[in-house]
Amino acid sequence: MNRRSIVRIAAALAFAFAAPAAFAHAQLEKAMPPVGGAVTSPAEIRLKFSEGVEPRFSGIALTAEGAAAVPLGQPSVDPADKSVLIVKVGKTLPPGLYTVTWHAVSVDTHHTQGDFQFTVKP
Amino acid sequence: MLSTTWRSVARAAIGVAAALWLSPAFAHAVCGDRIFPATLGIDDPGVGDELALPTLTSQPQGSDGTREFDATFSWTKTILPGLGLSFSDGGSWLRPGGYGWQALDTELKYNFMCLAQHEFMASASFDVSWGRTGTAAQYSPFNTYSPILDVGKGFGDLPASLNILRPLAITAEISEAIPGQSWIDGLQNPTTLNWGFTLQYSLPYYNSHIGQIDNDFLRRLVPVTEFAFSTPIANVPSGSQITTGTIQPGVIYEGDTWQLAVEALIPINSASGRNIGAVAELHFFLDDIFPDSLGKPISKWGQP
Repeated sequence: MNRRSIVRIAAALAFAFAAPAAFAHAQLEKAMPPVGGAVTSPAEIRLKFSEGVEPRFSGIALTAEGAAAVPLGQPSVDPADKSVLIVKVGKTLPPGLYTVTWHAVSVDTHHTQGDFQFTVKP
Repeated sequence: MLSTTWRSVARAAIGVAAALWLSPAFAHAVCGDRIFPATLGIDDPGVGDELALPTLTSQPQGSDGTREFDATFSWTKTILPGLGLSFSDGGSWLRPGGYGWQALDTELKYNFMCLAQHEFMASASFDVSWGRTGTAAQYSPFNTYSPILDVGKGFGDLPASLNILRPLAITAEISEAIPGQSWIDGLQNPTTLNWGFTLQYSLPYYNSHIGQIDNDFLRRLVPVTEFAFSTPIANVPSGSQITTGTIQPGVIYEGDTWQLAVEALIPINSASGRNIGAVAELHFFLDDIFPDSLGKPISKWGQP
């Protein structure tokens, strides 16, 4: 590789890394209740994403196994961390298996979605 | 103070602006819950603004003893949502044979299907390797034309009883490389069928759907094995109708706006090479890095 090629590649890499406003797809990193975990009835669901999310265009739904949707509050983000989406759970959950379905729009408008299950212990 | 009418107009304008700003951006290979990472042996089924720079390949030693090292790049620019144009090129070092600049390669690719619920994605593309753009040993006097089909299927739609298999995905590619000239100096230029597939197990998918992975490094890894083959199918000199290819076990680390992939290159037979090679690629997702400029389609026409 000649010197000019190396300089070109280095310049391109520097350009890419120096990008001032890098955002990405909001991928779920952690959840409370944990993905696949077993907990006592939670008062809220907290989803930690890899990027900040827009609560007006993001949402969380909760369903019990073989039952209707569980009523949840309006989604909001943690004021201290815009990558944490929160909803309040409107009632005490009886023991059983629950499915969380979420969709998120990150601050650069990329859309992601997913679902996971957790168990409420007796 | 604004009048009620003006206030209504302002509210409506803000609403429209917010809706436009928040209309879903067309992303790299995302279909439903699945994000297909960029792979090295065959292409992923998505279309997005991406830059692979560099891709460094130490090819398995050739059956004739030749050694080859390649340093290449590939840049994809979306023209419309789901329609992109790629430019790929780079240098090759042959021993014996010396240095040569590879032929410029362009590819127009269209992502025509995404069944989100089934994490199924398909794209069709047309690739041209331009003759007379390479140098030295990489020089070719004719163009080569390749129609290509790429598909990907994630197994997130499996039932919960098979949870452990839901992070699995398979992608596949098939193409036919047709030389623009059948004969050069009395030698045949064969048409080849290039085909392959990948098996991927996404730990990011596992972390967000099956069970939490506490280790920050592990939950960004996608172990992958690629299978890339080439079979001459027409205009083949006698004795040369042998399928060659590599099996490529490796791993992909997914950053937020980039990924790093490293794979071994294991030849499938002696015609494919003698010993093990390696390939590594740093890949940038420009739609994430520059969402408002370089990373968005030139036109939003046709955006869902």
